[in-house]
Amino acid sequence: MHRGRILAIKWGMNPNSSSLGVDVTFLLVGATVLAALTPVVGALLRWRGAVPVESSAAERAAAAAADPGSAPA
Amino acid sequence: MPRWRRIAAQVIGGAGVAVDRWRAARSHPPRRSRLERFGAIVQLTVPRALVFLDREAARSTLALRPDQEPALWRGAEPALADTLLTAPLEAHLQLTNQCTAGCTGCYTGASPEGAPHEWGLAEWSRALDELADAGVFHVALGGGESAVLPWLGALADHARRRGIIANLTTSGLDGLDRLLPIADRFGQINVSLDGLGAAYAAVRGFDGFARADAAIRALRAVKREIGINVVVTRHNFDELPALFAYAADRGLSEVELLRFKPAGRGARAYADLRCTDAQHRGFLPAILAAARLHAVRVKVDCSYTPMLAHHRPDPALLADLAISGCAGGDYLVGAKPGGQLTACSFAAPAPPLDGHRPRADELTRYWTQPGAFGAFRTWREDAREPCASCEYHSLCRGGCKVVSSHVEGDLAAPDPECPRVVDHRAGPRRTHLPVI
Repeated sequence: MHRGRILAIKWGMNPNSSSLGVDVTFLLVGATVLAALTPVVGALLRWRGAVPVESSAAERAAAAAADPGSAPA
Repeated sequence: MPRWRRIAAQVIGGAGVAVDRWRAARSHPPRRSRLERFGAIVQLTVPRALVFLDREAARSTLALRPDQEPALWRGAEPALADTLLTAPLEAHLQLTNQCTAGCTGCYTGASPEGAPHEWGLAEWSRALDELADAGVFHVALGGGESAVLPWLGALADHARRRGIIANLTTSGLDGLDRLLPIADRFGQINVSLDGLGAAYAAVRGFDGFARADAAIRALRAVKREIGINVVVTRHNFDELPALFAYAADRGLSEVELLRFKPAGRGARAYADLRCTDAQHRGFLPAILAAARLHAVRVKVDCSYTPMLAHHRPDPALLADLAISGCAGGDYLVGAKPGGQLTACSFAAPAPPLDGHRPRADELTRYWTQPGAFGAFRTWREDAREPCASCEYHSLCRGGCKVVSSHVEGDLAAPDPECPRVVDHRAGPRRTHLPVI
């Protein structure tokens, strides 16, 4: 990451269809390892190049609210 | 198998998983980003992660033109913990309430007949279109037993076409023949396994271990990302290390631990099956020791956050790992078999607005309405003691609202199983002064 901050990383995916599952394996290794891992993720994002900005309903709604004359994308 | 060989096998298996995911991401690219008021969320497929970025980091990561300022970024930049997401990260779709297992504690009260007016492929596909448009990254498909649905594969395909990764929970007791040929369409499949042998029967009310085990073996033979979901009760708590050993022996990718919820038939079984206070206090050390010993990844559901906070881990570390308490109506939403939108799978359908209960294909319209999801979103202003003064409250959000609702009759009450709440209600500790 050139600038800015990674605020959080939610690891893995949650197949459990009843509640939000979070990976707590990192609690075994603690903040030091995680602090070392975060720049690696930043580097990975950088290495993969610019990520496309994908449309979402909220961004379109915010754009429409800011500029009522513009047609939604 | 010796531990070092198991770890070596995991490293080799991990390389295979990375190749599989890279191929899958090329053939069906998942959504890669979503703008948020605090910045953006970027999805990685290898390793699998959702990365939350502040605006400055998002600006250097996303393909934004130098002069382009997203409309969502107008105004002050909020902290991640202080803002509602623009859409859930994941949606839990209860595709059917049909299931022949009849488990004692089933949180949906599933039955062989299913629920009246269940949605079919067309309606769920329309819901996926709505979720994709909102920016949802993942869906977790469940039931009932959704593996019996003849259109499950078509729905997973539709999710992939819309950039959503579909994950699945199955009991493994039915529908396996249909599931095996389509297993590759899911990101992760977990089989519900609440104990080994007799412990399975003690929790579920019947002995289905052999069938569930056979399903796990068959699924693991065709897919690497297979895990188990374990509903933790007072009857299987002591068997958790054995379940981790089982997962390691079967080469499973994770163990996901779920707190018992008083919902559906589980409301009647709650008093008998819920864990004791001592078990809740010993939960985190027990699972981390088992995960370390057997070299298996461990996940816990959002309702366990009070039991994690009891051990006073660094709040910043929890925040960095996106560990959150009740995330219903924010990080996640649920939908009942007839499409009724819920804050989470255990909750009743969301409160009506304008006399109309929202469905999953109306998520976007409902999401921004004042009063949407009721008490699930008002945890900040609803906080009472001992939550109000707890340093973990912004992470824990008051614990599990479904447990609070069942025990206290109030969704907004502090989670009565949280050790801090138990201590608070017991009153100040007595100190025995020396007798003079």
